[in-house]
Amino acid sequence: MIGRIWAMAVNTAREAVRNKLLYTLLFFALIMMLFGTVLSALSYVDRERMVQDFAFSSIRLFSVAIAVFVGVGLIHKEVERRTVYTILSKPLSRAEFLIGKYTGLVLIIWLQVAIMALFFAGVSLLLGAPLGFAHLAALALTAVELALVVALATLFSSFTTPLLSSFFSCGLWIAGHLTRDLRDHGASSASALVREGTTWMHRILPDLESFNLSLEAAHQLPVAASDVWFPALYGAGYVAAVLAFAVMIFERRDFR
Amino acid sequence: MHSADWRKRGYLRVGLLLIAIATTGFAHSRFETRSRVELGQLQVPSADYVKLWSLGFDAAVADYFWLRAIGVVGAEQGAVEEQGEVLADLIDLVTTVDPWVSHPYRFAAVWLTRDRGMVERGNRLLERAISYHPLDWRNRYHLGFNHFYYLDEQLRAADLLEGAIGLEGAPDYLAPLVARLRSREGGLQVAAAFLVQMIESAEDEYKKAEYLKALDEIQIEERARFLDEARVEYWRRNGRDIEQVTDLLAGPNPVLQRLPRAQMHLDGFEWILDPETNQIVSSFYRIRYQLHESETDRQRKQEWREREAAAEAEGA
Repeated sequence: MIGRIWAMAVNTAREAVRNKLLYTLLFFALIMMLFGTVLSALSYVDRERMVQDFAFSSIRLFSVAIAVFVGVGLIHKEVERRTVYTILSKPLSRAEFLIGKYTGLVLIIWLQVAIMALFFAGVSLLLGAPLGFAHLAALALTAVELALVVALATLFSSFTTPLLSSFFSCGLWIAGHLTRDLRDHGASSASALVREGTTWMHRILPDLESFNLSLEAAHQLPVAASDVWFPALYGAGYVAAVLAFAVMIFERRDFR
Repeated sequence: MHSADWRKRGYLRVGLLLIAIATTGFAHSRFETRSRVELGQLQVPSADYVKLWSLGFDAAVADYFWLRAIGVVGAEQGAVEEQGEVLADLIDLVTTVDPWVSHPYRFAAVWLTRDRGMVERGNRLLERAISYHPLDWRNRYHLGFNHFYYLDEQLRAADLLEGAIGLEGAPDYLAPLVARLRSREGGLQVAAAFLVQMIESAEDEYKKAEYLKALDEIQIEERARFLDEARVEYWRRNGRDIEQVTDLLAGPNPVLQRLPRAQMHLDGFEWILDPETNQIVSSFYRIRYQLHESETDRQRKQEWREREAAAEAEGA
């Protein structure tokens, strides 16, 4: 089973590498990282930190964009080109197909994060900006967040069109970053319905802020191992649940 | 198609391109392109709202608004003081979104000085700075300075500055400064007691020497005050003021038998009358132990008082 998933993943990765959108977004991400150096020149203090902040934000923003916009077409393309029939006629289950597709895209996205991270490290070293464990931890959790975003994009891609998938994925990404604050705001509400509603929203929707160590990275704040492992575990669990749900939907889908 | 037609079509395209560029340039030169900062129309969104919608890009969002704050101070139009509210809102936003920033807090403290309200806003920001950077002496120093210089709250300033003593990078003059602040409201005994405590706890010999120097100054001030009392007695007895400090020893019924030393450890210094203030001073220090207040400070405080009185009258 692992072999079949891996073969599917490699195939998906090869396909994704040919996607021009990936290179366009990667190019813009690198440009934005350089633009940070121009922007930071407007400040008279903390210039190196500002370059790092903008570069780190570029990594996150463009990686999410790649995850969503490449991820939403994952299944749809196969169905549209009718290649899904050929693939599924082989000894490959729908679950293996979906998980293989997901794994392939995650690998490609992690690869481009690694490229951007190297660029980030290069710019930081060039400017003499500090690099530490907090940066590494923040990048690692960004990678987990991206894996989750790809899982969501895969879920939506398994039953709807790319346009709707991208709306849903972006919407969930935004909501995922708001749930903590909404829960906190809801907690002070007089209405029990609002209080409970926002608490459950926070429990059910992905808590993407748990993967956000950007301030810790920006200011080289101490990061405990548990600040990385527990969110990573949470992300892995959430990805597994989303993929299981996606497989359930995909297995019932009628391609006729 | 003939080459003449191609050429004609080419000219037409270049012509259209030039017209488009000229139209764009003309239109662009006809409308307002100055930034809202320069126009004094900058609206700062709510800090909580921005924090909510920063979607994890907190550091970059804070940097963006920090650059806008610099823009407010750097803008040519309008004095910074007039833009105080905007600047305070911007720094509040920056430090709400990213409370770990360091410099913006002190930037606010430096620029938010138009009136008592602004200074108090700056102080609230500095209090936030202290809660996030408890080991940074500079925030405590700025907060203490604001309480002393703008709000005339010497003891509060002394308490705040005392918290900065001993923190990494804190200057050695802080302890003597705290003593001086304490002396104004609590008296010389309080200031001296504070310094004695500092001397006892100082591990650094250089710092200890600095504190001892400050303590010497307090002791000389105590002596100067003793001489002030003697001067009053001289006046009572003779119906006139002294012409020089040694007059206190002169006459058939001298007020004093001898003068105290004018320097705690060194010889060759004496008590003199300061020609400007007519105060008795040691020729070593040539100034009395007190907090210095310049004419500008006095004027500013007067302006504040007048402005506050006017605002109160308006409210009534």
